[in-house]
Amino acid sequence: MAASATALSLDHLVWCGDRLATPALPGRPTGHAALDAVLPGGGWPLAALSELLLPRNGIGELGLLLPQLANVPAGRWAACIAPPGLPYAPALAAAGVPLERLLIVQAESPAHARWAARQALDSRSCEVVLLWLADADMGALRRLQLAAEESGTPLILLRPESAAHQPSPAVLRLALSPCRGGLGIRILKRRGPQLAAPLALELPWPGGGTRPDCGPEHPSTATIDPQPSSPSGKHALVRPLPSRSAPPGLHAGAQ
Amino acid sequence: MARGVEPGLGRASALAIAPALCLVDRQPALEHAALIDIATWAGRFTPAISLDPPHAILLEVETCLRLFGGLVPLGQQITRGIEELGFHARLAVAQTPLAARWLARFGAGDDTGQALAARLDPLPLVALADGTPVGPDSLDLLTGTGHVTLGEVRHLPRHGLARRRAQAVTDALDRAYGRVPDPRPWFKPPERYASRLPLPTPSDQVDSLLFATRRLLAGLAGWLDARQAGIERFTLVLEFERNSQAPEAPLEIVLGTLSQDMQRCQLLAREHLNRLPLPAAVDALRLTADEPRPLAPPAGELFQGDDGQPGDAGLLLATLRARLGNQAVRCLASHPDHRPEKAWRWVEPQPPERSRGRQEPPPLPASPRPLWLLPEPRPIPAPPPWTLLAGPERIASGWWDGPEATVRRDYFVARSQDGGLAWVFRDGVAPHCWYLHGHFA
Repeated sequence: MAASATALSLDHLVWCGDRLATPALPGRPTGHAALDAVLPGGGWPLAALSELLLPRNGIGELGLLLPQLANVPAGRWAACIAPPGLPYAPALAAAGVPLERLLIVQAESPAHARWAARQALDSRSCEVVLLWLADADMGALRRLQLAAEESGTPLILLRPESAAHQPSPAVLRLALSPCRGGLGIRILKRRGPQLAAPLALELPWPGGGTRPDCGPEHPSTATIDPQPSSPSGKHALVRPLPSRSAPPGLHAGAQ
Repeated sequence: MARGVEPGLGRASALAIAPALCLVDRQPALEHAALIDIATWAGRFTPAISLDPPHAILLEVETCLRLFGGLVPLGQQITRGIEELGFHARLAVAQTPLAARWLARFGAGDDTGQALAARLDPLPLVALADGTPVGPDSLDLLTGTGHVTLGEVRHLPRHGLARRRAQAVTDALDRAYGRVPDPRPWFKPPERYASRLPLPTPSDQVDSLLFATRRLLAGLAGWLDARQAGIERFTLVLEFERNSQAPEAPLEIVLGTLSQDMQRCQLLAREHLNRLPLPAAVDALRLTADEPRPLAPPAGELFQGDDGQPGDAGLLLATLRARLGNQAVRCLASHPDHRPEKAWRWVEPQPPERSRGRQEPPPLPASPRPLWLLPEPRPIPAPPPWTLLAGPERIASGWWDGPEATVRRDYFVARSQDGGLAWVFRDGVAPHCWYLHGHFA
């Protein structure tokens, strides 16, 4: 009994290359079971910066984030900072988003948007902060990541696809692409091995019916375009487990 | 003073001794205003305050000593607070108001532990004329008979003084030594806080304005403390230099919630001042606040941890609006209208504490709506029919808003070239153009 318990805890301490990291804080469920299964911590990382990379606006990113916007408890905000378009109120209300807790902040410049995001994080009154940012240098992203870490608030950054080649301090980077029936998600970076194939996520259709593009296959749009990725998921370690989020027992043993 | 300029010296003589002397006329009105400011602020220590013009304020502190932990801590708090307001004060504590005033002005220092008579006796005769109807002739009389201190005068025969028209002297001594009661009118703090602070030199630097604002806010904090109230907004008025012809600029600072937290006021004032273009150097600042509402002090916790604090949603709203403007920070609301572009509104965000009880959303159309709406429909070439996945849904009419708001459209859900879903419509009137109106995202 005791031996198996020890083995279990040891098992926890030794990190194998093909397994997802266990973050210090469990993630917040994304509301999409298929996506939760491939994210370390089982959801959006709390107290960290996540990045979504979009080929263009309006491909399904808001549908992916709807569960986050809908689950805002009373007395807190969900902040949308510098959205590129107009989130449509009737559709949001139909999806169960409490509109009076959804704060839309329009910023004149990226600097203003970053400032507003910092304020939203530092105030600790936001359940989630969405920030649309076209270009930002590494220093600015790093500062945002630190602010998110300190505040314990998930910060989700939405950037154009061209930013995929830039280095980023985000702990999770997802490249999104439109696909039949929902959204194609390619995980560029996570704390764990790289995912071999992109994930095709079905998004719920407003009104509860099936999405109109879930019907019979059309020859012109066969499947999602599998983006070139590493051929095998065995030794594609993106980032090892940082010492900060190591299990507490590890430090105790070292001392 | 070092050169020999003394009180009572004539203007010409003073200038002859020290040519660099800067002479300023006394302004009794300003002095009185300052006295009222201080008395208003002092309401945080005791409810029983009395003005003793021209330069004294009496606080009855016997009843609140326990709250502030004794005389010494109370004295320290008062001294520190008055320095924050930008004044200097000499404090003295005595059993009677007149004795306290004399000791503050002429007292030797810390002798609180002794008996009242022992403390008052060594005071000089000049004290007799301070705050009492004792005239200079009585003082001359006493000086002429060789008396120097109050103690000596106290032992003079009473009817002898009365016969020499110095009855006022005995009256004053009786009041000071506590032999007769000395009732004072209580000061009532104003219902509306207003305070004005002239800057020492006109300035257009935000930092110096903030420094002055901090002084004004310290007074406001005392006023609020005394009433155990909070405010939701206050107004800061900037008065510009008189020769610049610039009209004064009022800044309405909204705190976002009922608060008496001066840190928050200071923070928001800084955001507002940073945004405001200053047409000229600022000469004076005025701060006004009204509508104080009762506010219970926040419940303290025994173990105050930094984690798990819920955060201040109202403060975030106020901070963002202070810097980005009210137009940039808003909430959405749906509006019962069948035309897509009229089915939503911008609304003023309410701090979430107050928005209890969600109102019932207006009935939604049965057919799906996109999550992103384009502000203006964008003309597109006619899509091939196999990309139209759902529809048509006809949305028409709207004549009550004028001819340009009247629509006649057939909406379809279409697949765009990259695979996303778009909301497109075909105009019902010739030439039946196609438009893109939203993205299902």
